[in-house]
Amino acid sequence: MPKPLELLRRIRMLLHRDRFQSDLEEEMRLHLDLREQEQREGGLSSQAADQAAYRRFGNPTAIKEKSHLTWGWVWLEDFLEDVRYGFRSMLRSPALTAVALLSLALGIGANTAIFSFLDAVMLRSLPVKDPSQLVLLGRGDDSGVTDSYGSTTLYSYPFYRLMQQKNAVFSDVAAIFSMSNRAHGTIDGRDEVEEMHIQLVSGTYFPTLGVQPALGRALTDEDDNTEGDHPVAVVSYAWWKRALAGDPAVLSRKIKLGTTIFNIVGVAPPEFFGTNVGEAPDVWIPLSMMNTAPLSFNGYKDDFYQSMLLMGRLKPDVSMEQATSNVNVLYQQITRAFPDANLNPRNLANLSKAHVVLTPMATGLSSLRNRFSDPLKILMGVTTLVLLIACANIANLLLARSTARAREFAVRQALGAGRMRLVRQLLTESLLLAVVGGLLGVGLAAFADRLLLRMISGGPDVIPLDVSINLRLLLFNLAVTVATAILFGIVPALRGTRVDVTDALKDGRGSASGTSRSPLGKVLIVAQVAISLVLTVGAILFIRSLVNLTKVDTGFNREGVLRLEVDSNVTGLKGDDPRMIAMFQQIEERVNALPGVKAASFASFVFGQGSWNTEIRVPGMEAREDINVKHNVIGNDYFAALQIPLLGGRTFGPQDTATSHRVAIISERMARDLFPPGVNPIGHHYYTRLDPRPDSDVEVVGIVKDVKFRTLQEPPQYIDYIPNPQHPWGYGDLAVRYSGDFNTVSNEVQQAIHSVNRTLPISRITTLDEQVTRSITNQRLVAQLSAFFGLLAVFLSCIGIYGLMSYIVSRRTNEIGIRIAIGASRADVRWLVMREIVLLVAAGIAVGIPITLAGSRFVSNMLFGMSGVNWISLVASVASLLLVGLIAGYLPARRASRVDPMVALRYE
Amino acid sequence: MNRDEIPPGTLYLLILKTLALQGESHGYEIANSIQRTTEDVLQVEEGSLYPALQRMLIKGWVTAEWGTTAGNRRARYYKLTASGRKQLALEISQFERVIGAITRVIQTA
Repeated sequence: MPKPLELLRRIRMLLHRDRFQSDLEEEMRLHLDLREQEQREGGLSSQAADQAAYRRFGNPTAIKEKSHLTWGWVWLEDFLEDVRYGFRSMLRSPALTAVALLSLALGIGANTAIFSFLDAVMLRSLPVKDPSQLVLLGRGDDSGVTDSYGSTTLYSYPFYRLMQQKNAVFSDVAAIFSMSNRAHGTIDGRDEVEEMHIQLVSGTYFPTLGVQPALGRALTDEDDNTEGDHPVAVVSYAWWKRALAGDPAVLSRKIKLGTTIFNIVGVAPPEFFGTNVGEAPDVWIPLSMMNTAPLSFNGYKDDFYQSMLLMGRLKPDVSMEQATSNVNVLYQQITRAFPDANLNPRNLANLSKAHVVLTPMATGLSSLRNRFSDPLKILMGVTTLVLLIACANIANLLLARSTARAREFAVRQALGAGRMRLVRQLLTESLLLAVVGGLLGVGLAAFADRLLLRMISGGPDVIPLDVSINLRLLLFNLAVTVATAILFGIVPALRGTRVDVTDALKDGRGSASGTSRSPLGKVLIVAQVAISLVLTVGAILFIRSLVNLTKVDTGFNREGVLRLEVDSNVTGLKGDDPRMIAMFQQIEERVNALPGVKAASFASFVFGQGSWNTEIRVPGMEAREDINVKHNVIGNDYFAALQIPLLGGRTFGPQDTATSHRVAIISERMARDLFPPGVNPIGHHYYTRLDPRPDSDVEVVGIVKDVKFRTLQEPPQYIDYIPNPQHPWGYGDLAVRYSGDFNTVSNEVQQAIHSVNRTLPISRITTLDEQVTRSITNQRLVAQLSAFFGLLAVFLSCIGIYGLMSYIVSRRTNEIGIRIAIGASRADVRWLVMREIVLLVAAGIAVGIPITLAGSRFVSNMLFGMSGVNWISLVASVASLLLVGLIAGYLPARRASRVDPMVALRYE
Repeated sequence: MNRDEIPPGTLYLLILKTLALQGESHGYEIANSIQRTTEDVLQVEEGSLYPALQRMLIKGWVTAEWGTTAGNRRARYYKLTASGRKQLALEISQFERVIGAITRVIQTA
């Protein structure tokens, strides 16, 4: 029997069920008529014949129902019936429906929005072939260049080549330059420079990922086998659309970076954003071009210019263990066999300690993941709690309503409806609420996602992260929706249908059934208050942590400083070219001469822009490998521009030139810890590397106050400052202390820069204050969102309290009427109700406090400047919860006190 | 008139066999035919034919078409399909197996 045909027939019956129904009826009528006729012919009276016919036939209604059942669609028809009924009952109590839908939409929407970020940042696989086969050598938690032995995150280009040739476990290996580069280039046929995000990758990058270009070709190993002579580029699909307006002749277009002209040979597929989640390179260039301006990384042939992340694709039958052991054997072999390896005891010790961990790379690399995984998990927890509160609320409302509908259910049960049938109908109604709420939630999430992305980005440049609504998200949403429906629907459904039919059918607001339902409602309120307490304490903690962060002493004056970046690479000059050094000094002079400017200086780093650090060697002190000093290359007026106090010695001046004797200014903390005690560091010499080589010798000429360098949370750092002419490197961040109008000064400064060199691209114009603020974006995000959700939780709990108390008051109207009739005062009645509220809120707080204490330990590593139990936050939360609880309960209490005993008792 | 209930599960068999013997028939004819053939021994609650016929329609054992009776009334005529014939053979062999087994039990006693 072919099943599909049978299904087809069933569907046809469903679609034409009216016709099938009437056919059946007609057929049965014919049967009865013929039988009756036969009986009459046999001599019976017409009435007796009729009866006999029915007797032989059986109950036609039952038979019709039985036939109906054989069609197999009863469940669907029942369901549709329930849905129709559900809609009607939703419309019958619009206020309840509105509150339920609003809280569901907010709860589900918030969950979906946060989940979409969790998905984009942590869960989603790269859009490449078999992402689960990709592994990263090391943990990928570092970027930059290092020459230290035993580096297991960053590798040199020669190492990559040898690993690629010698390994037995990968089908291919690719190298990714660990620093992404923002450079300015010109597209052929245009005058103005444009900023592009450039990613250097090995020729094997695209083949290893298995990414096919949308147009042209991908980079290949051929593009990467000799240094400097493969000026080719693959551009991203988005960049092609944006910068070239989707020009179909893209493959004949060219990009000029510095002095090198690159031919565009391919366009990556639309979904491909590289391997780093939250970054989307515009242009991919082979590593063979790493030393062409503007990139100028001289490391293609350097065995210890360790600056690349290595990624491999596991061969199908190779396990992680096999791969790890193979890679580690090769790691030692390759590194030790480099002809220029300096195998002194210290380096050997570091090497032998090194162990390469293989990290699955299916979800890609992400610096966002490190920054946001904790906040996102916390927010996911918070939104889940909010959704729970919303569920409790709706459960309470439904409980109240199902008690109000006790009569209806009693009537239906008396008429023969099964209890399970009623439960099913109530659950359908809950599901209907949840689905509508879930749909609203999806809409809300789509909106919230955009808002959150802007908040996370913390600046004008929105992080390229795909958080649009996708299938996985919709499935998540569906799961959440169904779970909430069951969560808030099942108890009221079971409760509501457990009616004593005869009791409920008796008229009046039965006092007996009134008390039997309240305990559950009260438990729900207690749970809501407890969760609200957790959320408010959390919100207060995060807000206070944020306030602490904004109050941190940065060491410099963050107000009144204009910041911008100049990209000098477009000149094609090397950093140590005297013309380059002169150009920077000339800009500083012209900007300093502007009327609104008090001091202006370039620097390599101003705040939160990464660092360049090395170990140092101070004569007379033990060599310490575990201490890194951060170096900052600065102009002469840097300390004046940032108002960093000079504690001793001098600042840099015109006397510090490329050829003069090499000098440095050190931070207070460095002077105190790294120099021999009792000796004034000024005039003291040290080496800026661990090896005491003469070319790294500098003399300390000044000491300045400690400043925050990368983050506000960091402890005092060891920092030294070097004058630009003596170590020209990565220069171009301008800091200008000004007074007056920001825009006026900004325009004047830009004009001054362009008066020195018309072609210099200027970008990232902002204030220092803004820059510092942006560094705590995620703390601000968590504080704002947890405050929002905390308020939402309290608000929902208030609705819950209000709803339950109003309900209880209306159930107890008789009792209150009697109390007033026998002499209770209005105040007594008010207190009667308020006492119940106070008890509920107090119980919730009592339950919530231990949970809060346990929970705050959980988030303590995300809090800044707070330790131990935070009693102030706790007391503040308890007080505010009690207050809003009382406000929410006051209205029902007042209503109770205004009960007119005559009206109340007349009901009985 | 004391009649026996039909053994459970044999209603399909009876209907199929009746249709095989008589060709196209409507419900009333099927009921009468069963009664006649069994010489009034077996009693079918006549209404229960109809759910069974509905089910057989879904299974594809029979097809139905509207026609006119001798008394000029509209009636639905059922007809056996190829798969209905197969089902009939199957039901008969099943029934004989069961009856045979029961008979053996009775005879050994």
